[in-house]
Amino acid sequence: MRKDQPWPVALLSAYPADWRARYGDELELLIADLRAGGRAPIPMAFDLLCGAVAAWVRIERRTLMSQRSRNALISVLWSWVAFAAVAAWFGHDLAIYPSALKVAQIDPSHPAVPDAYHVLLAAGAVGVAATALAAITFAINAIGYARRCGRRSTFVLMAVPVVIAGGWLGGLRLLPAGNFTVGNLTLAVGWLLLGVAGIAGSTQAVVTVIRSTEFSERTWRIGGVAAAAVTAVMVVATGATITWGVAERASQVHRGDASGWLIVTAIMAVTTARAVIALIGARREPAGKPVAA
Amino acid sequence: MDFTEPVVLVLTSLADGPKHGYALAKDIEDFAGAKLGPGTLYGALSRLEDRGWIEALPSDDRRRPYRITAAGADCLAKHLKAAQRVATTGLSRLDLRPTI
Repeated sequence: MRKDQPWPVALLSAYPADWRARYGDELELLIADLRAGGRAPIPMAFDLLCGAVAAWVRIERRTLMSQRSRNALISVLWSWVAFAAVAAWFGHDLAIYPSALKVAQIDPSHPAVPDAYHVLLAAGAVGVAATALAAITFAINAIGYARRCGRRSTFVLMAVPVVIAGGWLGGLRLLPAGNFTVGNLTLAVGWLLLGVAGIAGSTQAVVTVIRSTEFSERTWRIGGVAAAAVTAVMVVATGATITWGVAERASQVHRGDASGWLIVTAIMAVTTARAVIALIGARREPAGKPVAA
Repeated sequence: MDFTEPVVLVLTSLADGPKHGYALAKDIEDFAGAKLGPGTLYGALSRLEDRGWIEALPSDDRRRPYRITAAGADCLAKHLKAAQRVATTGLSRLDLRPTI
């Protein structure tokens, strides 16, 4: 503080550093102008102290909200990835999901059963769209933040899922097909496990970017909407899978045991419950206590 | 965001053109008779800027002017129309009140 400045200017040091960096100069001039215009210093000082308290409260609240959003989003992300991987891969591999033909065969004997096939397709489309929207929004924000702060590691981490997906799918084409020898099966199982590890590694890379980047409020809002959308998708898809599985087993169409369907639906139900709990927990957590991831 | 009195006063002041901090304080004092303190004024400015209802304009000196955005003008108009309906209703009912 310079000697020619009115003493209330010293109270600017009570404001948060970020706030002072943005508005400090302007506020300093305003105090000087108001004082020169005849404004009494004591009410001005009291007003500045109240303003400083309000600025701190706002920053604390924003940090807490950001932390809650971050942890809830990461929980939903892990749940959604596990859910989608199980639903897409194992569900497909075990031929658990209904085909249009099976649905047509079941419908006449069970007219009350909803068309789970179409429900699953619609739920999948909504889930993919919500994920893509959130991914693009967060990626743009993360790139901007990484450029501003010179964080090269963010770009490396963002490239991880793309490189892993490209490498794994490329390798899939090279696997021998149709010849069920022990060696080929071992290779296939090994490649599958490598794929699971790749999914986990890619998700962890995304989580690291989410943890290390300061996202805007708008990005968090979009992330929150996307998290709510994919959680709703998980609830609907789990319900549809259960409904269809029960309907098929109650009809004359089903052949074979139910273990694959039960395992898949159990994993879907658990991951869905995890996502629902994360979202509810983020909303209910009392102020001052961040939600654990 | 809550339409606190300082927020409405700042938006109303900026409705007729960009102003910096001191010009805002003087204008608000002129049209509303309210002497906003510097902490209150900049608290409102920072909330409004976060919300995207006002934006800072480039300036050569440290007195940075602010202007209202289209979103800010829209929200202010809606708020003032609602307040006007309440004021009109209240005044007409006061006129109808029987005198003792």
